[in-house]
Amino acid sequence: MDAASRPAVVIDNGTGYTKMGFAGNVEPCFITPTVVAVNDTFAGQTRANTTKGNWMAQHSAGVMADLDFFIGEDALARSRSSNTYNLSYPIHNGQVENWDTMERFWQQCIFNYLRCDPEDHYFLLTESPLTPPETREYTGEIMFETFNVPGLYIACQPVLALAAGYTTTKCEMTGVVVDVGDGATHIVPVADGYVIGSSIRSIPITGKDVTQFIQQLLKERGEHIPPEESFDVARRVKEMYCYTCSDIVKEFNKHDREPNKYIKHWSGIKPKTGAKYTCDIGYERFLGPEIFFHPEIYNNDFTTPLHVVIDKCIQSSPIDTRRALYKNIVLSGGSTMFKDFHRRLQRDLKKIVDARVLASNARLGGDAKAQPIEVNVVSHPIQRYAVWFGGSVLASTAEFYEACHTKAEYEEYGASICRTNPVFKGMY
Amino acid sequence: MANTLRLYLTCIRNTLEAAMCLQNFPCQEVERHNKPEVELKTSPELLLNPVLICRNEAEKCLIETSINSIRISMKVKQADELENILAKKFLRFLSMRAEAFQVLRRKPVQGYDISFLITNYHCEDMHKHKLIDFIVQFMEDIDKEISELKLSVNTRGRLVATEFLKQFI
Amino acid sequence: MILLQSPSRFLLQILQDRVLSGDKGVDIDCHTVEFDDVRYHIQFSMRNPKVMVLSVALPLPPPEAMLYDGLPLGAIEAIKAAYGPVVQILDPPKDGFDLTMKINLTKLPPDEEQRNAVLTQIASVREVVLGAPLKLLLKHLASKTVAPNVDKLVALVHRPNESFFVAPQADKVTVVYPMRFQDSIDIVLATSFLQEFVEARRTSALNNAPSCLWSPVPPLELKGVPSDALNANAGFVTFVVFPRHVEGKKLDKTVWSLLTFHAYVSYHVKCSEGFMHTRMRRRVETLIQALDRAKSDAEKLKKLVNGGSFKRLSLNNDGN
Repeated sequence: MDAASRPAVVIDNGTGYTKMGFAGNVEPCFITPTVVAVNDTFAGQTRANTTKGNWMAQHSAGVMADLDFFIGEDALARSRSSNTYNLSYPIHNGQVENWDTMERFWQQCIFNYLRCDPEDHYFLLTESPLTPPETREYTGEIMFETFNVPGLYIACQPVLALAAGYTTTKCEMTGVVVDVGDGATHIVPVADGYVIGSSIRSIPITGKDVTQFIQQLLKERGEHIPPEESFDVARRVKEMYCYTCSDIVKEFNKHDREPNKYIKHWSGIKPKTGAKYTCDIGYERFLGPEIFFHPEIYNNDFTTPLHVVIDKCIQSSPIDTRRALYKNIVLSGGSTMFKDFHRRLQRDLKKIVDARVLASNARLGGDAKAQPIEVNVVSHPIQRYAVWFGGSVLASTAEFYEACHTKAEYEEYGASICRTNPVFKGMY
Repeated sequence: MANTLRLYLTCIRNTLEAAMCLQNFPCQEVERHNKPEVELKTSPELLLNPVLICRNEAEKCLIETSINSIRISMKVKQADELENILAKKFLRFLSMRAEAFQVLRRKPVQGYDISFLITNYHCEDMHKHKLIDFIVQFMEDIDKEISELKLSVNTRGRLVATEFLKQFI
Repeated sequence: MILLQSPSRFLLQILQDRVLSGDKGVDIDCHTVEFDDVRYHIQFSMRNPKVMVLSVALPLPPPEAMLYDGLPLGAIEAIKAAYGPVVQILDPPKDGFDLTMKINLTKLPPDEEQRNAVLTQIASVREVVLGAPLKLLLKHLASKTVAPNVDKLVALVHRPNESFFVAPQADKVTVVYPMRFQDSIDIVLATSFLQEFVEARRTSALNNAPSCLWSPVPPLELKGVPSDALNANAGFVTFVVFPRHVEGKKLDKTVWSLLTFHAYVSYHVKCSEGFMHTRMRRRVETLIQALDRAKSDAEKLKKLVNGGSFKRLSLNNDGN
């Protein structure tokens, strides 16, 4: 049985979380934070200061000390409990910054979590749009030389997110992907499977910012949450109780009129003393997601709401793609899963678009009436890992195996083959 | 063993100091082009005699000079199978990062393991003797790195074996 | 992670989540593949949220390895002994798989520690099933006997189309692995690793470990084995296991270690290639720093030559 008959391995490395699993499945096997806890005690020391015998011992410890690390949830737990481990985040804003740590991260993903033999499977990795081609070369070098993978395809995340929205009859390869993740938020227009690089917009509001805002609000109100837990509590509150409202003022009134219906309670146990504590969750429930639509309540530097940025992004794309882009705005990423997020976004965006159409009709004075532009924000239940799911769908088509770069090609031509990853037939 | 290394490197250094007199020379054949003549080898009057410095049958260094460029090709010692693959791996790693090294050539000359191409522009940007220092340092480092990699493979094998056998006790 | 762990992380995670999630549950239907071609198919249906159907496919055995009914010798007894009433074997197994089991999560022991132990044991189904014949032979070694009706040289499957050989005797058991690797670099690295095994065994601290030999040609124990089972590009490794290595609690660990020996070596070969990359990156950084030193001095020289530090004073005086 050769590698093409086994399911491919799909790994989606995000700034905050990594989703990994096998193609053909609906859900990833593991969703772990992209963090590595390394034991740095031996790495930094130079050999000049040590005696010969001591050096051998240190060298041995150093040579195996590179295996002494943890990733994901284990890493966070270890770094909390002991001082020997330092946390390191290899990916910033979608780009890999630290290749050593990234190589080790992949090593653990493949051997400890997925427990598969990399020589047996084709790999689908993902990358952020606007990554330099050298990054793809380095990724290819690591995959082919260290792990000896038989085939590799590096896909662009927004293109996979679009593929996640496929049904059997409809495959739209044109659309705007609004990817709101934990570490980076990008708005990427894609036309016929190719990313329009010059129109990519990113905003500095991410899932982490929503959590921090909620944490801030809870602290300002004086809720009794132990400080070392406050970020964690804020995150869980965000995931369980937050929703998107249609109008802030009306929502404030609703909360004030019927507090019992809207205020939720959170209870937990203080880790140090074991005592119980409770806190109320009130306005945070709708103010958290509101920072996407009114960034000024959180951040004084950035004040453009999300729907305005999406509009600007589509207006900067080639004019013949704009209608198709408005018709297919796809949400992806965990932070788009707030209740009614897509409805609010669609309503706000449609307001701007309709206003513009009206103004242009008024200017032309009835001679030429523009057709109304259809604005459609698509939401589906697998938004949280839409990119991974898109990868799983694409890696299970037969054409995927032919579109991958093989190890034989790498040996023959070198790492530069990894720079291009063409859109293949299974995608449309 | 160490003695011959020092002699070999000193010889290379002296040859480089003599050979590295580069000046700007626009291409004779094509107008407004400026090409490294040592790569083209079209006009014999622009090329000097290549010098081959051999430490032993396995290690040698070929220095070819021309009026505006100099090409240095090295063959690295590979005593056994393990050193062979380690050298191949390391040199492939370096060649991929040739952009960052500026003076490194992406593909080695036929018959050698690694090649440098230094043009008059590099000499203008950098000190000549510092550049020669760098090249000699590079050669030394390659040898050092390969033997250290070999040592680390052996040490690691020992540790892997120890951990495995320890389970049974 | 230095040693390979026995329980499958994904199986354990799914089982623990399902136990904690109470009575609500969604449909799950997923496939995973582990090293050496062991495939799992996990199914949960909404109708019985506490019952998991797990199908396991084993690596394709080579012609010389013994399999009864598609499963290794003693596998069914081992499953019944390890899991008791929690697991029910379904016959025939699902299409494309060698074994299908129904795991009833309501029958787990109520005590949390015992429950976690049973779940870990279920997640180690690979060790139970594939390791059953080896466990049988080694259990007899612990009691210094030989299992009845067993050949002098037994071939057991551990990788697709590859087997390792066990020669059981009353006072010791000899295990021989023909080591094969696909990639040429892996072959050379693995050969040097395997030769280190012999060297490591010689140190006094490991006197009590099983004795270890490496040879590039098939050792004498493998006389009479068909030659296509004997092509090994990284040599042959022989371990000799004594009763003290398999008494009591050590039996399970010994079985797992011997079963996954090839995977262990292969994993460490890849880790050391990764480590070499780290070293090479550091070396490249040092070299580039050396190059930068060559450059920055020259730039300073340029500035001095061009007179950048001279200030143009009193322009007016010159004009006048």
